[in-house]
Amino acid sequence: MKNIQRDAQVKSSRKADALPENPSDLNPSIARVLDEIEEGKSSSRRSFLRLAGFSFAATAGACSRGKPQTALPLVQTAPEMIPGRAYWVATTSMACGAGCGALVRCRDGRPVKLEGNPGHPVSQGGLCPACQASLLGLYDSKRLQGARGPEGPLSEELLDLQLRDLFQNLRSSGKIRFLTGTVNSPSTLSQIQACLEQCSDGRHVMYDGISRSAILEAHQMTHGVRGLPRYRLDRAEVLVSFGADFLSTWVSPVEFAKQYARARRPEGSRSKLLRHWQFEANLSLSGGNADVRTRIAPWEENAALTYLSDRLAGQERSNPGLPALLIERLDQLLKELSAAKGAALVISDSNEVRQQLLVNQINQHLNGYGRTLDVSRPSLQWQGSDRDLHQLRQELENGGVDLLIVQGCNPVYDLPDWEEALKKAGHIVYLSRHEDETSPLATWLVSESHDLERWDDHQPVEGVYSFSQPLLPGLFAGRSLRHCLASWRGAAAEDVELLKKFWREKIYPTENAGEAFEAWFDRNLQRGVYAAKGIEPAGKKEFQRVELPAPDSETELSEGKLQLVLYSNPAMQDGRHAHNPWLHELPDPVTKVCWDNYLSLAPETASKLRLETGDRVRVEGEIGSFEIPVLVQVGLHPQIAAVALGYGRKGTDRFADIGPEWMQSKPTVAAGGQVGQSVSSWIAWKNQQRRFSAHEVSLVKLGGSHKLACTQDHHRMELPPHLAPKGGEVRDVVRVLPLAEVQGQTEQEHGSKHHVYKDLWPDDHPYEGKRWGMAVDLNACTGCSSCVIACQVENNVPVVGKDEVLRHREMSWIRIDRYFEGEGDQLQSHHQPVMCQHCSKAPCETVCPVLATTHSEEGLNQQVYNRCVGTRYCANNCPYKVRRFNWFDYPREDQLQNLSLNPDVTVRSRGVMEKCTLCVQRIQDAKAEARRNGRPLEDGEIQMACQQSCPSQAIVFGDLNDPESLISKFRNNSRSYDLLEELDIQPGVHYLAKVRKQEDRGDHHRG
Amino acid sequence: MDKLIHPAADAQLIEGNKSLHQVTEDVFQPLERKASPSWWLAFGFASTALAIGLISVVYQIKVGIGTWGLDRTIGWAFDITNFVFWVGIGHAGTLISAVLLLLRQKWRTSINRSAEAMTIFAVICAGIFPLIHMGRPWLFYWVFPYPNTRGSLWVNWRSPLLWDVFAIGTYFTISLVFWYVGLLPDLATARDRARGIRKKIFGFFSLGWTGSARTWVRYEMACLLLAALATPLVVSVHSVVSTDFATANLPGWHTTVFPPYFVIGAIFSGFAMVLSLMLIARKVMGLQDYITMKHISAMCKVIVFTGTIVGSAYATELFMAWYSGNPFEQFAFNNRVFGPMGWSFGIMVLCNVIVPQLLWFKRIRSSIRSIFLITILVNVGMWFERFVIIVSSLHRDFLPSSWSSYRPTWIELGTLLGSFGLFFTLFLLFCRFLPMIAASEVKSVLPKSTACPEAESKKEAA
Repeated sequence: MKNIQRDAQVKSSRKADALPENPSDLNPSIARVLDEIEEGKSSSRRSFLRLAGFSFAATAGACSRGKPQTALPLVQTAPEMIPGRAYWVATTSMACGAGCGALVRCRDGRPVKLEGNPGHPVSQGGLCPACQASLLGLYDSKRLQGARGPEGPLSEELLDLQLRDLFQNLRSSGKIRFLTGTVNSPSTLSQIQACLEQCSDGRHVMYDGISRSAILEAHQMTHGVRGLPRYRLDRAEVLVSFGADFLSTWVSPVEFAKQYARARRPEGSRSKLLRHWQFEANLSLSGGNADVRTRIAPWEENAALTYLSDRLAGQERSNPGLPALLIERLDQLLKELSAAKGAALVISDSNEVRQQLLVNQINQHLNGYGRTLDVSRPSLQWQGSDRDLHQLRQELENGGVDLLIVQGCNPVYDLPDWEEALKKAGHIVYLSRHEDETSPLATWLVSESHDLERWDDHQPVEGVYSFSQPLLPGLFAGRSLRHCLASWRGAAAEDVELLKKFWREKIYPTENAGEAFEAWFDRNLQRGVYAAKGIEPAGKKEFQRVELPAPDSETELSEGKLQLVLYSNPAMQDGRHAHNPWLHELPDPVTKVCWDNYLSLAPETASKLRLETGDRVRVEGEIGSFEIPVLVQVGLHPQIAAVALGYGRKGTDRFADIGPEWMQSKPTVAAGGQVGQSVSSWIAWKNQQRRFSAHEVSLVKLGGSHKLACTQDHHRMELPPHLAPKGGEVRDVVRVLPLAEVQGQTEQEHGSKHHVYKDLWPDDHPYEGKRWGMAVDLNACTGCSSCVIACQVENNVPVVGKDEVLRHREMSWIRIDRYFEGEGDQLQSHHQPVMCQHCSKAPCETVCPVLATTHSEEGLNQQVYNRCVGTRYCANNCPYKVRRFNWFDYPREDQLQNLSLNPDVTVRSRGVMEKCTLCVQRIQDAKAEARRNGRPLEDGEIQMACQQSCPSQAIVFGDLNDPESLISKFRNNSRSYDLLEELDIQPGVHYLAKVRKQEDRGDHHRG
Repeated sequence: MDKLIHPAADAQLIEGNKSLHQVTEDVFQPLERKASPSWWLAFGFASTALAIGLISVVYQIKVGIGTWGLDRTIGWAFDITNFVFWVGIGHAGTLISAVLLLLRQKWRTSINRSAEAMTIFAVICAGIFPLIHMGRPWLFYWVFPYPNTRGSLWVNWRSPLLWDVFAIGTYFTISLVFWYVGLLPDLATARDRARGIRKKIFGFFSLGWTGSARTWVRYEMACLLLAALATPLVVSVHSVVSTDFATANLPGWHTTVFPPYFVIGAIFSGFAMVLSLMLIARKVMGLQDYITMKHISAMCKVIVFTGTIVGSAYATELFMAWYSGNPFEQFAFNNRVFGPMGWSFGIMVLCNVIVPQLLWFKRIRSSIRSIFLITILVNVGMWFERFVIIVSSLHRDFLPSSWSSYRPTWIELGTLLGSFGLFFTLFLLFCRFLPMIAASEVKSVLPKSTACPEAESKKEAA
């Protein structure tokens, strides 16, 4: 280890010249790198280098797992590691399962922020809310500490000894099974493989909490490859989604959001913008963004897909009993699809193999394979197999499994009816980060390391590798599956050595790198990603027509019943983030409710059943019943009731006392209760696949109410009709322009249409140097809420708990206002991120009696916490209501959790006002950096936290005084407008209007 | 205003054919005898309310403003409502003592002392709210422009809150001085009638009053000058308070009619409060002969007059909102009247516009019970007026996403109760320990009083 440490210092000092000291240097090159990646130029190597953060070797020395003598004390630190200055490490975030590339900002040896890695070929920058929030999971004091055996806590050595013996005993005669979530780490898979090879009867079963298994099955049948195709939304002109919420939870949302936004940018080079058709029962984030959204009942999907497939195959079909509007829309869609052959894509989130086979057929008819979907280099992000899972259950029930090694999943929660079967396993070894539903069944319970404290490699898409590096020594003696398996099968080694060994033996020889392994490996590690050259695509996979199985979902709903639809939201997903308060308090992008799950009902259904938001109901079905509050949600199919999965997790009673406690405060969770309600037992099995909408239920209204913490009370831009003045029925908040108007314009016609009002007063803000400004492209914004978490992490925004949210005192500095337009099948949702608008004539500035809020020479509206006495006059006078008051001293007692605080940003105390600062710490940091290097600031060098995280690049920041800057171009775009322009307070934040085809906006379009 | 009480009726301003000595006895006896059970009962209620308020405020300062029902959209509610309400109450005192003095309204002599006292107590109550509504009240002194060592940190002269600091500060100072100067002859009388420690205390505060002609001349000059100084304040204080709202850009606040509207509203509510207090005090302290139905009737007329102006101010606001053509403004007022907080608008109109109109009827004007009820309703209505302006404008402003709703917490209710507790506690102590009728001035309007006041005083003093 000593050697590594010395090596580390030597190497890092050698590399110090080549590496930028600060990541802000990197930012200007991001765009260039992206271009290069797109164009496939090999010269991106150098750019990649610039993007990577910190020398791998230095980290290696600093961050080896668990052993204090190998940690590098600050007094002997590597030359780059300057106390108080950040360094960046490229890694991979696995919190949502998509495996996006991340850059981690570290300060004084601890990670404080995760950002998207623009150099990652799959995600290309941007990061989902869950991945950003996963930082808090690292500093979770309720994580498992060490290992536990049948007789109590065990040391690592003793655990390894016991399991080595067990493995020895069982490998020749016993049945050994692995049950994991999707593992796409090649080195871990090779360890599992090595284990299985040593066993006489061993098998590895993967499953995902939210199953995509049918897509894989269908491709196995039609293409002979068991994999998720790689979807290319950016190559499509028509995108049809049957229920798939690809912007929020489905498969690879960050990647898709980026492609989607690019394909819909009116200023781009595309002649035809992507048109998005969504058919769904529940209202998803993607559905709200769609050009045409049509409600479809789950039992109608088979017929609709069959109809599409048959018609595309050239067969005449009459209406197979679908509602008139649906068939009308399908016919319209067929026309568009036929015109866009080779540039159309159909996706579905159904877990019925038949439906996925139909989708494959349709995509084949549309010439999509090889263009809008790629099966030659499939995605490996989700590999779970329900069929294998089903088989494992049989084996467990027969009592034949001697050793079950469980990792990366929580089977008792995901599959509640498995508990008895699991108890029949001889021994269970469970790697987990928390005491959870499964842990009581474990014979051995092993603390699993967090993504940010371990070595790892990932292969999100075949041929694309990305790495994880430990950023600090393991906090709770957590271990990786790879390291455990190696020890247990008698091949113990340091985790990093296992990883390197795999790469040295398996990947390096195929690559003809032309340099020594160490150098080659270090370089790739530093970039965080590696696109394999040596692995050839496994040949062209041809579509094979297969016999469709009979539909196994019901065709009709019983009278008076509702179909229970289970979905997942981007915060909790399958329940894996239940310990993360940031994600619990993130308002759902569609409903804006946090801290709960609920039964969503269409307004017509709710009024028929005399239910209102907050009423409690008992949901009764064949397999039992559960109680849950109701949320009335527009846009739902009237015959469904939708509930989010991932709630009601064991251990969420920890949030009982989150937030301030005072006389009238109410706990976020009742004592011993849980956040939300688990509904995973309502996932049904059919044809060896899990189904997420399979139960018919009826509702019984219960007494009492359960308040749902919603951050928005009024959901439309239309004012309540009885209060609306004539001519002012709709607030001009989110503007939507007709596509024809924007597209037909020549460059000359472009140009700001901002109204300039005459002014009585002398201009006392001349902005002689910089004038910082921001622009938000509402056409690109999907409402995914990444920016909300990014801001929370960057700016130390406290979590306040459900009761405070109910009292409308959430603290987020950036919020996403969501407005619905239209109803039912005409419904569209608009998402508008709103942060402090940094007005030139800020109403807040004039009214503060103590000058605690002032205007900077560079156009920032500054809040001086020290000076603020807390009159709240500024907040009253702010028309955007972006100011946040510290009503209490928010608890920050968890010392470990406090390590996630950004040291560059003050933690505000009670009684002061706060709000978006335009990440002033980032501006100052970049300025200092430029000054140190004796050069001017470059455009794009400063990136706001919200901007960096945005997968669809909807947010732009820069100098409005520089006519060449990107922000100036955005500002001068004809779509640019100011929010509440008529107040003439001259905000520094501008919005770019949405663009939609006139005919899609239907009768609710306002002129 | 001259004709509120006909000059010819001057002769009967004080009933019961009092002699000068009897006036002294009537006014000063309550100070000298033991407190009556009804005083103790009232004091018990008032001080309990004060204690509840005190506990609420201490709790709020200890835990945070979060113990109030405010939120990200509604930054002010009970706090500033109470503040404006109490400042308004304070107005009647100055008006009665200063303006009516200058206008030589002799009927004011029976009520001006307690009206002035009320002003001071109301301003004390009002002053508490800007202090405790701060997130960090321990730094309250930062709102004063004083030389400091924090660089060149100064206050923001453009902020109406700062104007408030000066307006309220000036008002309180002038009112206190005016009241105290007015008290001097009576303090001297109390001194002369007292023994022991009381004599020393009254002696100290009467500033060596001798009752000489020179003293009287200077006293009257000082009173006139102070009255002249205080008169503009009647207009200025509430005008400044109204700029807290009028200069903001919030629809419902951003209105030029606010300064006169607030001033007249303040006089309206102040008179109602004076009248409610007088009705209780004359009963409890047995001063029916001094505060007669004529006084009460005169004040009723002021109330119906100002109430009508207030009503027309409401109508003006609504008209201007409609006439402006500004959709934000129009919505704000639609929402004020018909929105979720419309009930508070209803209470306001009922109490402030409709109910006072009953005072046109002589029968009602001569029924103590109905007058008392009306004055209480006017005070309720005027409290709601401020609540309506503040909360109904704030809760639904520009962006529909941020709309919110308001419910007070127990702490806020406790603080409101406490402010009444403070007010009545102070007032009851005043009734107990100071002459609540300006005996020296009343003597000047006695029908038999043909001698000049100083002669009477001298006689007394001797």
